[in-house]
Amino acid sequence: MAEAQGDGNGGRYTGPVAGDATPETDPHDDPAYITRTKFLSGVALVTGGVLTAAILVPVVGFAVAESVQEEGWQWVDVGPLSDYPDGEVGSIAVSGPSPESDRRAYVRHKDGALIAIWNRCAHLGCPVAYSAGGDVYSCPCHGGAYDSIGLVTAGPPPRPLDRFDVKIVTPDGKEVAKQEQPANGCPTNGAKPNDRVLVGRPFSIDEDQNPYELKGPGEPVTGVLANLYPF
Amino acid sequence: MATKTTKDIGPKNPVVKVGDATLDYVDQRSGAKTGLSWFLFRNVPAETSWFQTLGFTALTLFGLQAVTGIFLAMYYKPDPNSAYQSIDSITNEVTWGWLVRGMHKWGASAMIVVVFLHMGRVFFFGAYKYPRELTWVTGALLLILTMFMGLTGYLLVWDQKAYWATVVAVNITASAPVVGPYIADILRAGPEFGPDTLARFYSIHMLVIPIAIATFIGLHLFFITKLGIAEPPWSKRRMTVERAEEDARRAAERERLPYGRREVPPDVPAPQPTRAEGGP
Repeated sequence: MAEAQGDGNGGRYTGPVAGDATPETDPHDDPAYITRTKFLSGVALVTGGVLTAAILVPVVGFAVAESVQEEGWQWVDVGPLSDYPDGEVGSIAVSGPSPESDRRAYVRHKDGALIAIWNRCAHLGCPVAYSAGGDVYSCPCHGGAYDSIGLVTAGPPPRPLDRFDVKIVTPDGKEVAKQEQPANGCPTNGAKPNDRVLVGRPFSIDEDQNPYELKGPGEPVTGVLANLYPF
Repeated sequence: MATKTTKDIGPKNPVVKVGDATLDYVDQRSGAKTGLSWFLFRNVPAETSWFQTLGFTALTLFGLQAVTGIFLAMYYKPDPNSAYQSIDSITNEVTWGWLVRGMHKWGASAMIVVVFLHMGRVFFFGAYKYPRELTWVTGALLLILTMFMGLTGYLLVWDQKAYWATVVAVNITASAPVVGPYIADILRAGPEFGPDTLARFYSIHMLVIPIAIATFIGLHLFFITKLGIAEPPWSKRRMTVERAEEDARRAAERERLPYGRREVPPDVPAPQPTRAEGGP
């Protein structure tokens, strides 16, 4: 120690210092180098992601996939033609998933033709009521008003009331008449009173009673805004 | 040195001593006491007033809704055939059922009102500004969740008003462009309201949203504790700080101006505009 003090450096340390030597290239300094820590972090992230997906995908699919399917429809027998005398509007409950849904068809027999109007308001889906006095339909929720064939006369509805397809068959199931054009309805002049009236697929109409795919409440069938719901 | 005596300033009561020791034991191992005093015993601005209690009122109302809701679930049956009857029996037969249901019903309305007042207070006090933006964002999410709570809870009564009001609300959702019809289908578990809709709304009302609300309330409270309560706009200290910040901002803006547009002191001649070189 005494010698080291006498080497002319004033007793300063002259030995190797950390970082003094030529720096070795450490592979850990390369950002692309996969260290054990990085590898295990990646494994943990992927495992966690797979586990989360294994729980969430079935659950969300379970909640969602069943819900977004198209509603099925079928021909529903709503009674003999004699229940719907010419010049009158009959109201008949058709399929609905819950008793509260109050889904009805107003079967209208006028001038030798039947049409079936769905009582779901085209504004936001409340049930419209038919009043025989004025031969009009009116919605209790937001004041939508429709004329005798369901065209909008007042209020917020963006399109006329939806219709159901109608046909008349014999009691043993042979077709007598069907609805070719919504505007003309289903002709009844060739049908007997005990022939059955069937109500089928629901569809939307525009102001000229041209048929369209069934739309939800609030969705217009014509104009620019009809493109808001492309699917 | 000899005159100095040690004074025992700790509690004399042995019960208090044991209690303190227990608290210290827990705190050393969990930090609970430290965390709780960090949460509860913070400095608040001198101008803090009754306006700042609206958030806690909303929190209390959420607690009321949670407790009354948990106990209402003991009697409520989320089935279309028995939902209304079970509500009827809660109201008219179960002891104090009218009271618990009333607390839940009126607490829901009160919560909506208080949440809006709270939001108005934060807005008009400017308390959403830096550094409290995330507190505002979590609060906005809580507002949406609270409204959704109101929507899903309203259907559970399953009378005509509940049914058709929710039909209308879901159809309003359906009128959103492009995805609206799908969201509505998911909400009502199909194209039309049915038994599954009630069960689904019950599950969302009871489990999905309360968990989300509790999570966001936790975040909201963390931000409030970390950042402290904002001073009201009439606070002299806040006005001083804001004025200083504005001055600093203007000074920095001046510094950032490019050379030619920098404000020139009056005793230095302004640089003359030069013609473009190589012109005709």
